Amino acid sequence: MARVAALLRRLSLATLVGWSAAAAASSTSGALAEGVAAPARDDEIVAQLPAHLGDAAQRRAARAAERAQRVQLQAHPDELGLALQAARDALARGRRQGDPRELGTVEAALAPWWNLASPPPEVRLMRATVHQSQHEFQAALTDLDALLASPGIDLPVRAQAELTRSGVQQVLGHLSEAEAGCRRLARPEFLALGDGVRHNALACLAELASLQGREAPAAATLARLAGAASPDATGDAPGWLQLMRAELAQRRGDASAGPLFAAALQAQPDVYTLCAYADWLLDAGRPADVLPLLQGHEAADPVLLRIALAERALHGARDARARRDARTLGERFDAALLRGDRSHGREQSRYELDLRGDRRAALALAEANWRVQHEPADAVVLVRAAHAAGRDAAAGDVWRYLRETGGRDVRLGIAGAVAAPDLPASSAGGAPRDAARQAASPAANGSAS
Amino acid sequence: MIRLLLAALAMAMAMAATPAMAHKASDAYVTLHVTGDQVAARVDIALRDLDRDLDLDADADDRLSWREVRTRWSDIAALARDGLVLAADGVACLPDPAAAPPGSGAAPALAEHSDGRYAVVRLAWRCAAPVQRLDADYRLFGRTDPTHRGIVRYARDDLPLKLVVLSAGAGRVPLRLPAPRAEAIAVPASPATATATATATATTMSASPAPPSAALARAAASSEPARDDEPSFGAFAGFVREGVHHILIGYDHILFLLSLLLPSVWLRQREVDAAPGRTRSRWVPASNLRQVLANVFKVVTAFTVAHSITLALSVFDIVDPPSRWVESTIAASVVLAALNNVWPVIAEARWKLTFLFGLVHGFGFASALKDAGLARGDLAAPLLGFNLGVEIGQLCIVALVLPLAWTLRGTRTYRGAFAGGSLAIAGVAALWLVQRAFDLSLIAG
Repeated sequence: MARVAALLRRLSLATLVGWSAAAAASSTSGALAEGVAAPARDDEIVAQLPAHLGDAAQRRAARAAERAQRVQLQAHPDELGLALQAARDALARGRRQGDPRELGTVEAALAPWWNLASPPPEVRLMRATVHQSQHEFQAALTDLDALLASPGIDLPVRAQAELTRSGVQQVLGHLSEAEAGCRRLARPEFLALGDGVRHNALACLAELASLQGREAPAAATLARLAGAASPDATGDAPGWLQLMRAELAQRRGDASAGPLFAAALQAQPDVYTLCAYADWLLDAGRPADVLPLLQGHEAADPVLLRIALAERALHGARDARARRDARTLGERFDAALLRGDRSHGREQSRYELDLRGDRRAALALAEANWRVQHEPADAVVLVRAAHAAGRDAAAGDVWRYLRETGGRDVRLGIAGAVAAPDLPASSAGGAPRDAARQAASPAANGSAS
Repeated sequence: MIRLLLAALAMAMAMAATPAMAHKASDAYVTLHVTGDQVAARVDIALRDLDRDLDLDADADDRLSWREVRTRWSDIAALARDGLVLAADGVACLPDPAAAPPGSGAAPALAEHSDGRYAVVRLAWRCAAPVQRLDADYRLFGRTDPTHRGIVRYARDDLPLKLVVLSAGAGRVPLRLPAPRAEAIAVPASPATATATATATATTMSASPAPPSAALARAAASSEPARDDEPSFGAFAGFVREGVHHILIGYDHILFLLSLLLPSVWLRQREVDAAPGRTRSRWVPASNLRQVLANVFKVVTAFTVAHSITLALSVFDIVDPPSRWVESTIAASVVLAALNNVWPVIAEARWKLTFLFGLVHGFGFASALKDAGLARGDLAAPLLGFNLGVEIGQLCIVALVLPLAWTLRGTRTYRGAFAGGSLAIAGVAALWLVQRAFDLSLIAG
């Protein structure tokens, strides 16, 4: 026994020896262990700032213009025109980069009016847009309803308010409300604003129709609006329209979605479009195409999620890069939670399900998200999470909603697998699974040809 | 005006369905330590935010070099100093030039957070009297980004940190400090205790780099009072547990160790064959416990040293081999170790074989440790704890297997179990090898 004890002592000594070897190997990283370090070289790049477009001279000019705008605004904070311009520019930057700070810049620019009960209409519209982006939908609706109810509002502001309101209602799943708004937008009184508004109104109505089981005529309308003869032709239509067509094709399981996403991205290289395209590529089993697509946009959480998913699909679940990206993503979700931000449910549910394998957490997040949002992607996330957790019944509300609206999505057929059959067939075109099969079949695809 | 709005209009259509803004939002991480009448703080501010307010990107190339940051450090420190105003018991605390020279904010340094690097500014205040109640008026970026938040963790002396989320415009917010310790009030600190406290404070500061722990995040989000999930011992014990857990659920490591332990109670004996001039080898039960223990010792030590080396190399990101290679090689090592029992190639110096393969297992441990949620920055303690846990788990296995093997070594059962077991292990590991190399899912592992 004494011998064994001696052996154990020697063993622990050996452990220590092993440890000193390990420690020697790691001594170079000593400073890192504290988390604080000064870079060794002056020319080391320590931060990548949001990129300005163009060559060096143009970038410098753009930066100088932003700077000048800020200085000017600081000198004249009460000048509404100046403030609105700064707010609009910030909002556009925020959309392109997906950076929520720009919403803060909008708020800062509009600070003198921000907390008024009844600010100038343009400010109120901007405030609603910021709230919409922050997923504070009720606050956004309050402002938009007030704008639309007050007489004598400028026609352009009215048109934008109507459109934004319709968008919010659509996210919330209030499709008939959204439809009523777009129908109002198609009225002759808005013709004075030109074809643009009318196109918007028609596209909006078409998308809403497509969400209620009328996919084929909707696809035809959108293709016509895009000025394309066939659903495959991409043309040079605006990005949002191509994105709408791409997402419709995606819900129908139509391969034309790929080129349409690419065309949308070409016209509108923002984070949302990038991620939508990446999702389609992932579903199509093309993770290798995702990584080059998303390169350079890692700062955005949804982008990082898709990168990690692609790495996982390419290199396996134990891949070091996928793990590292998943870890970073987890830290960012934790950071968002710290400040009380819970608007990332859709992304976070996928993170829990596909990267961490925590099915229960994924389902809870997807359920909470579905209580607020009813977009097709929200439905897919909940049906998948419920199925993975072995609780298909938890997605019952999704099927109920789809039965009421007539909505269909091939992704639900795949995600739900066995979830749908025990529900009665929908009046608007069969049970969701049948809908999926039907939409995936070539017969249902010949919509606009 | 109309045209502008129409442009926005077109955009809004696509935006209608857009999820929340996608980046991490703008947060600064503040750690406050109160000691007597002094307050020390570390403030981590995103370089991106600093650039907006201070225009750091001098050459306008949309990138910040260390030079561009370092040369503006006095402005950065001033911004941080103006961003946080403290008052103790109603009386403003004053910046303490002795503790943090004005304009320097200590040496310029950066820290990594989940969305990039942050400037780390050290601040210090001296209040009129030993602090009883502390109010914080957070003002950072109040005029440029009202959505910015300060994630503030604070503590008195070396007590656990509490958490509060502050924003500019909220005015003075009381921080709920625990009451100072009785002796701290009664007895003026002697120089010796003062130094000790200062050291303790500094240690806590450095041991709590700003990334908030997940537990902390959840505690804050569920608006429970912040709990004491900071003490480093608890975290260390957690990593030890994680290490034990990992080796005990890591069947590949267990089977590898088992394959190496099974033959340790035997010796390879060469005997002259019936055919003239030829020798053959066979396993015979060892008679000397000391010799057996020495064998086991060599094997276990080789495994430990080898995997410690690669575990450290990997955790510190010095070497980062692709995981599929690592996992496949681990499986291969189990196959080879098990087959070596049945058809011995290396019978005597098995510790050499163990060392070689132990290197690969270390990389496998590393990914488990990284999964366990390694906070950026503080690597040494988790590494030590985790490895300690792995050793404990490993010794448990030895303690379980060795007495049994020693007792049974002469029996027919053991001989059968040895050959059959080794073959079974080789078979299972071969399956792992296939599934890991080709990313299939055949069996759990």
